[in-house]
Amino acid sequence: MAVMTKAQAKKFNEMTDKMIDVLNFLKSNKVIDDSEHRSILLKGFSKLVDLLQEKKVINAKDAKAAMNGGFDSLLVSLS
Amino acid sequence: MNGWAGQRLRVDLTTGEITKEPLSFEYRKKWIGGRGFNSEVIYNEVPPSLDPYDPKARVCFGVGPMSGSAAPSTGRVTVTAKSPLTGGFGDANMGGHWGAEVKYAGYDQIIVQGRAKKPVYIWIDDDKVELRDAGHLWGKFPREADQMIKEELGDEDIHIMMIGPAGENMVRFACTFNDVWRAAGRTGTGGVLGSKNLKAIATRGSGTVKVADPKKLMDVCNRLRQAFKNDPMKMGLYEFGSLCLINVANRDGWFPWKNFQGGAHPDANNLSGETHAATVLKHREGCYACPICCGRFTQIKDGKYAGEEFGGPEYEHAVPTGPRVGIIDDANDIWHNCCLTNDYGMDAIECGGTIAAAMEWYQRGLITTKDTGGLELEWGNAEVVATLIEQIGQRKGFGNILAEGADRASDKLGLGDEGHYYTITTRGMTLPGDDPRGLGFGYGLSFSVGTRGGCDHLRSLCCLELSGALYPGLNTRLLGDESACKPVTVNSKPYMVYYEENQKATTDCLNVCCFTTHWSYAVLTPDQVEYLNAVTGLDFTEEDFQEVGERIYNLERAYWNRCMSGSREDTVPERFLKEPMPQGVDYQTNVGVTFPLNDMLSQYYRYRDWDSKSGFPSERKLKQLGLDYVAKDLAPLRSKYVSETEKKKKKYYV
Repeated sequence: MAVMTKAQAKKFNEMTDKMIDVLNFLKSNKVIDDSEHRSILLKGFSKLVDLLQEKKVINAKDAKAAMNGGFDSLLVSLS
Repeated sequence: MNGWAGQRLRVDLTTGEITKEPLSFEYRKKWIGGRGFNSEVIYNEVPPSLDPYDPKARVCFGVGPMSGSAAPSTGRVTVTAKSPLTGGFGDANMGGHWGAEVKYAGYDQIIVQGRAKKPVYIWIDDDKVELRDAGHLWGKFPREADQMIKEELGDEDIHIMMIGPAGENMVRFACTFNDVWRAAGRTGTGGVLGSKNLKAIATRGSGTVKVADPKKLMDVCNRLRQAFKNDPMKMGLYEFGSLCLINVANRDGWFPWKNFQGGAHPDANNLSGETHAATVLKHREGCYACPICCGRFTQIKDGKYAGEEFGGPEYEHAVPTGPRVGIIDDANDIWHNCCLTNDYGMDAIECGGTIAAAMEWYQRGLITTKDTGGLELEWGNAEVVATLIEQIGQRKGFGNILAEGADRASDKLGLGDEGHYYTITTRGMTLPGDDPRGLGFGYGLSFSVGTRGGCDHLRSLCCLELSGALYPGLNTRLLGDESACKPVTVNSKPYMVYYEENQKATTDCLNVCCFTTHWSYAVLTPDQVEYLNAVTGLDFTEEDFQEVGERIYNLERAYWNRCMSGSREDTVPERFLKEPMPQGVDYQTNVGVTFPLNDMLSQYYRYRDWDSKSGFPSERKLKQLGLDYVAKDLAPLRSKYVSETEKKKKKYYV
């Protein structure tokens, strides 16, 4: 499911440190809530992937790709 | 009660009063143990304005719910006090077996306060606790005093925490030891014990640690032991100790040659773990329940120090007393210096770092032999270095000035800003022997914000960039960015530092060795939560666990803020920011690199939810962590600090 435009994904990709900005974006677009934002920050990237799959924002194939390719792969799936 | 002993011991050396205080369920859940318990006590019982050597100051020894259990490497102890070196929050962490013994005696924490009229030691024999005369032990090296106490008490199997002569003489970077050789090195807690006339705490415990689910614990432990068998970091640490890092440091350009004027040297292999193992290693030693066994015991075989024996060295033991002061040709000179810092009971990092600063002052003409009592502080002059170590330990001659630590010594000598340029410190504490221009930008960022000043591998090292490349996929799993395992990149380093600082704080609450968690990655955070729950019977989630780390980190930060230390002090030595790394060997990988702190710091503040102007934790963050009282403490100081920052230069110490 696309939750951002390609241009937005490109902008995130250009950042050297992405986690907090991606989470803030997902929160402001109501993909995740406050407590999920906090939980992911504390636990790390794999928890973000798990949660997005649980919410059916990404499918199992995208989740697997994200666990291998990190944000580069996840941002493609989200855009 | 499962896991915890459920009480702490408080000893007032002024009154002789000894009390046992229960630790409530809520308290244990909020702070877990070790570093958490200690940081809470220091924040609430030691005012920021108090002199660290005031009798009212506290020294805390904390162990965790896992201490003394079968879980791997659960023998560590956190020692915490207001630091006489930095003036701010200070702690250190040591291995050995004393921590488990404290737990078996029935305590999760020991708090020492007051000042004895004459030297004493504390004898803990389970419930029975008494003060005993230590006049005959004063002035003795730990290796002698340990044996004397054991003979006096008629038990070779007791475990003893102790200070050396440097602690008695209140050297500002004296450390505490247990089992003679295992040091809680940093921030000068040994001097605080010396100021209290406390030589040692001898301990015998006959109890056990109750485990809620023994089968589950053994299942987890067996699984982790299997994982350790082939762990690459474990193998390096077992074979060569932490000296296994020497050749890596040299290759990657973070070897601190002559006070970080260089980052590599063609002869670095002279002091490598491989050379040490082939020449002077007598045997290996392990701490309580350790699957790694990284400890060394050294016997010098030839030369003028032939026959000398000591426990160690570590990387952060040999490097500051060797290459950092220009000694590299004869490793026996370095081993001898390590032996001396052990015997006097001093933090080798601070000791070597302070001598290195003095050598650079001398090199650049800021001081002369008139200042040094005639000593010629030429780089690599092994005899002068050994003399200075002894002078510092005894607080004699020029050593009495250096015993104040690098920044205070610079001020005592009136060297001004130029003097401080060559003190490689943050918040008054010398950085360890790892150049952030090579070891990593995450590591450098963590130096700038460390809650005990310039930190080291036991506290702030971002192991994801040191050893992340040995564990393919790990940086992706935790940070979403595999490129973060490259040391010399800013990629994902702000998030890495935030994550690792929280993780290390909780590890220090369990009092588990970080070599078995997030150094080698055989044990990850979910594994730690699993064994914590198996021991305590509680239901911590990974999020609960990491949140405790975040709480502790912010509490310690707030202590510094109350000392009026914040964003202005969040920096690293200017050398790393301004001077491009020179070439030391032809295979060096980081020539020309400077450290780009400003590219990362403000992003790090966003993760922490710290105010961008003051660097103080936001009121929102403190309340989220259940630290409302801390938010109240900081409220009147925020604007005061910002307006002071506009007028005053950074504080080198508080």
